[in-house]
Amino acid sequence: MAEFLMYFTNGLVIGVINAISAIGVSLIVGIMRVINFAHGELYIFAGYFSYHLSLTFGLSPILAMPLSVFFIFLIGILMERLLIRPTYGDEMYSLIITFVLSIVLQNSALLIFGPYPNKPPALISGSTQIFGLFHYGNQRLLSFGISIGILLFVFYLIKKTWFGKSVRAISQDREMASLMGIDHWRINMISFGLGAALAGSAGVIIAPIFPVTPTGSSAISLTAFVVVVLGGMGSLKGCVVGGLILGILENLGAAYVSTMYRHIFAFIILILVLVFRPWGLFGQKT
Amino acid sequence: MGRIVGSVLLAVILSMTSWALAQDTIKIGVVGPRTGPAAATGKAFEEGIAIALDHINAKGGVLGKKLEVVFEDTGGVPEKAASAFEKLATRDKVPIVVGESHSSSALAEIEVANRYKVPFIICEAWHDDITKKNYRWVFRAGPVNSGVVDFYIAPFVKENGFKKVAIVRENSDWGAGIAERTEYNMKNFGLPFVTLKVERESKDFYTELTKLKGENPDIILAYIYGTGLHFFVAQANEVGLSPKSLILDGAGPPSLWDSFWKNVGKAGDLELFISSMHEKVHLTPTSRKFWEDYKKKFGKDPSDYKTRSIYNVVLIAADAINRAKSTNNEAIVEALEKTNLEVTTGIVKFGLKQGSYEYHQWMPPMLVVQWQDQKQVVVFPKEAATGELKRGR
Amino acid sequence: MMKTWISLPLIFLLIFLPFFLSQYWLHVMIISLFYVMMASSWNLIAGYTGQISFAHAAFAGVGAYVSGMLAVNIGIPPWLGIFVGTFVASLLGVGLGYLCIRMGGIYLSLTTLGFSEILRIIITNEDRWTRGTMGLQIPGFFTEYSKMSYYFLFLIVSAVFLFILYRLIHSEMGLSFRAVLNDELAAASSGIDTIRVRILAFTISSAMAGMAGGLYGHYLMLITPDIPSLGQMFLVLAMAVIGGMGSFIGPILGAFVLEVLSEYIRIYGEYHVLLFGLVALGVARFAPEGMVGVIKKRWKVKESP
Repeated sequence: MAEFLMYFTNGLVIGVINAISAIGVSLIVGIMRVINFAHGELYIFAGYFSYHLSLTFGLSPILAMPLSVFFIFLIGILMERLLIRPTYGDEMYSLIITFVLSIVLQNSALLIFGPYPNKPPALISGSTQIFGLFHYGNQRLLSFGISIGILLFVFYLIKKTWFGKSVRAISQDREMASLMGIDHWRINMISFGLGAALAGSAGVIIAPIFPVTPTGSSAISLTAFVVVVLGGMGSLKGCVVGGLILGILENLGAAYVSTMYRHIFAFIILILVLVFRPWGLFGQKT
Repeated sequence: MGRIVGSVLLAVILSMTSWALAQDTIKIGVVGPRTGPAAATGKAFEEGIAIALDHINAKGGVLGKKLEVVFEDTGGVPEKAASAFEKLATRDKVPIVVGESHSSSALAEIEVANRYKVPFIICEAWHDDITKKNYRWVFRAGPVNSGVVDFYIAPFVKENGFKKVAIVRENSDWGAGIAERTEYNMKNFGLPFVTLKVERESKDFYTELTKLKGENPDIILAYIYGTGLHFFVAQANEVGLSPKSLILDGAGPPSLWDSFWKNVGKAGDLELFISSMHEKVHLTPTSRKFWEDYKKKFGKDPSDYKTRSIYNVVLIAADAINRAKSTNNEAIVEALEKTNLEVTTGIVKFGLKQGSYEYHQWMPPMLVVQWQDQKQVVVFPKEAATGELKRGR
Repeated sequence: MMKTWISLPLIFLLIFLPFFLSQYWLHVMIISLFYVMMASSWNLIAGYTGQISFAHAAFAGVGAYVSGMLAVNIGIPPWLGIFVGTFVASLLGVGLGYLCIRMGGIYLSLTTLGFSEILRIIITNEDRWTRGTMGLQIPGFFTEYSKMSYYFLFLIVSAVFLFILYRLIHSEMGLSFRAVLNDELAAASSGIDTIRVRILAFTISSAMAGMAGGLYGHYLMLITPDIPSLGQMFLVLAMAVIGGMGSFIGPILGAFVLEVLSEYIRIYGEYHVLLFGLVALGVARFAPEGMVGVIKKRWKVKESP
C-alpha cells in the first residue's frame, strides 16, 4: 500500500508539471493553429538558464527561476515575430519550421551547454515522511506546490482578465474578434511568448528533480502533445485532467508493468484517443 | 539549369577523386565518444592522447616520423562507431586503431576491423565477447567483465560479508555481460541477490528504488554508465535506501567526473567505485611520469582513469609499429603478439592461447575505492588498501 | 530536349563513376542514394499533398528491422526479407493514414511523431529480439562483401523508385494530388476523394521508405534505433526542403549535396546538424522552393534579356 501511494504521489507531481507544459502548447494551438515542435527545447533551455544563472552567475535560485522563465518568454516572442508570423495560414510550413527549429535549438543547446545533464541547486533538501508510510523528496513536494500556484495563475489570466477574454475571442472566431477591435497580431505574439514561458516554467520547476539534457527535449514535447490531444486541443481544463491522467498512468505503469515502457503508455493513449474520441476529453467536436 | 547541375556534379566528382596524400607523419586512428551521454570519456581520451603524443614524439616519434592521431567520434552509438572505424580504415588508411569505451560500439567495430584487416587495440570496452571472438586483428589492453567481477567485485562482496546483493544494470552489452557474470559468482557463493534492468539514459529511478527498498539489500552493485549513476546515487539517498545499503559503481569514471559532487551532494559519501588509478598507488615508473606530465600540461591531477588507459594503448601501438619496422598490418599484429612493454598499470603481455576471452587480452590490476569525506580511500584488495571500508547507517 | 541533354551523360556518369572512386567515396555515394530514395519518397507526401509525416525514418526502421530480424532469427534471405519489410511498412502506413489523415494535417504530424517514438521505445526495450541500442548484426545481400555490388543495387532501386514517382506525379492521380494541395475545397467539389488520395500517397511513400530502410540495413549490416530516429528524419526533411519540396529534382539534388557536404564538415562533429538546421530554416522561411527554385529563377533572369 505504501508503495502504491508513493507511485501515485509521484504521478500527481509529474502530472501537474505535465499540465503546465501542455497548457503552453494548447494555448498556442488554440489561438494560432500552430503546433510548436520546439516546445521541449524551450523547456530544456529554461532548465539550463536557471542552472547557469544560479551556479555560474551566483544568483539565488529564487531569482534565477523567474528570470529564466522571462528569458524564455522573450525568446518565444522573437520566435513568433521572426519565424512563425510569416507562416500563418500555411500549416505545412509552420510544421516544418517549428520542427527544424527544434533540431536547431537542440543542437545549439549541445553546443552551448554541453551534453551533460545539469541540475540547478534544489531550493530545499532532504525528504519528508508522508503519513508515516514513505519518504518523499522535499524538492518534489515544493515543486508540486509551485506548479499548482502557476496553474491557478494561468486560469485566472485566461478566465478573468482582458487578455484572457481576447484570447478566447480569437480562438473562437478570429474575424469576429478583429471586428470587436482586438489586435490579434499582438495577442498572438504575447500568447506565443506565454506558451513559451509555460514550457520554461515546467523546465525550471523540474530541473532540480530531473536534470535537463539537450537530447531529452523530444520526450518532453511529445508528452505535452499527447496531453493536449487527450484533453482536447485548445482546452485548458483538458490539459490539467490529461496531464494528471498521464502522470499517474505512467508512474503506475512503470511500477506494475515495466519501467522500461514508462513512456509508451502515453502513445497507447494517443492512439486510443484518435480511434475513439479524436476531439479529446474536453475538446469541441467539429 | 542543366549546366549548373552539371558543374556542381563535376566539382563534387573532382573533389572525390583527387584525394591528396601527404605522408610526412604517421597517423593512427582513435575511436571513442566525443559527443553524447559519455562525451566526458572523449575529453579524457583527448588528454591522454596529448600526453602520449608529447611523450612519444619527444623520443623521436615512430619510424623516424612524427606520430599523429585521427580521432573519430562514435557518439557512444554502435552504428556511428562502425562507420567511424570504416572511415579510419578506408579514408585515412591508418595502420592501427586504438581506443573505445563502449562494449556495444566495440562489438560493432571489431567486425569492421576484421573486414578491413586493421589492427585494433581496445582500452576500455569490457565485454568478454570482444576478445572471446578470437579475431586475429583485435587486442585489448584493459579490463574485461569476467576479470573485473571474478577478481575484484565478487571477492570484495564476499570478504566484507555482505548478506544480500542487489544488481542494477543498464540495458547495454556491458551491463548485460557484467550482471550475468556477477549473478554467476553470487550463485556460487550461495548469496541471495536480485537483478533490476534500467534504461541507460534514465534520470528518474524512484520506481526502481522503491522496489529495491522492499528487498532490503546491504550492497547495491550499480552497473550504470554515465550521469545516470549520479541520479541513481542521489535518489537512493532521498528514498532512504543508502547509505544503509552501500552502492558500488561497477564502472568507475562517473564517480570521478567533476559533475559527480554537484549532482549527488552529500549522498555521494561512502559511495564505492572501481578504478585502476589512485594518486597514492603507482605500480610503475611510467605511472609516476604520466602523473607528472599530466599535472604539467593541465595544471591539475588526473581524475578519470580512462585518460591513463588511452595513454597506455597509444604507447603500445607506437611500440608495436616501431618493432614491426613498418605500417604493414600483418607485421604490426606479429609485433603486438610479442609486446612486452611497461605502461602505467604494469607490463603488457597479450594472451596468445585461443579459445577464450584471454586471447589477445591483457588486464591491468583494479582497485575498489570508497569516497570518505570526499577523499578516495582504497578498500580492496587488502594489499593495496589505504583505509578501512566504512558502512552507513 | 534539355532533359535528354542532361540525363544521358548523367546516366553514363553514374554507371562508370564507381570504377574511379575509392572505397570511401563509393560508400558516400551509396549513402547518398539511400537518401535520394528517402527524400524523394517523402517529397511525394509532403511536397505533393502537403502532409508532413514525421514517421518516414520510422518506416525505414520498420523495413530494416523486419527484414533484419527475419534473417537473423529464421534465416530468411535478405532478398525476400526486404519485401516483407516493405509490406509491413505499407500496412502500418495505411493504418496510420486511415487513423489521422481525416483529422487534418496537425494530427498526422503529431501521430507520426508519436509513432516514431513508440517504435524507438519498442526497439530499445525488446532487446532480447532487437538487441536495442546495442545494435543487431544482420547479414548482407552478397556473400562476398563488395561496395561496387551495393552501389549498383542501390542505383537500380533508386532508378526504379524515381521512375515510379515520376510516373505517379505526371499521372491523373498526380494531378489530383496537386489539386488537393492547391485547393482542398475545390478539389473535393470537383469529385476528388481528398482523403483517399492522401492515404494512398502516404501509403506509397511509407512503403518506399520501408524498402529503402531494408536495403540500408543490409548494407550497414548493423541496425540500431538510430535508423528510425528523429535525427534521421530531420536529415531527410532537410534534404527535401533545401533541395526543393514539390519538385522532382529537388530532393535528389538535396540528398547528394547534403550527404557529400556532411562528409566534408564532419570534422566539426555534431555541428553539421546545426548548420543544416540553420540552412533549412532559412530556406523554409525565405526560399520555400529550395535550391531548385533558386536555380530556376537565376536561369530565367539570365535568359530573358
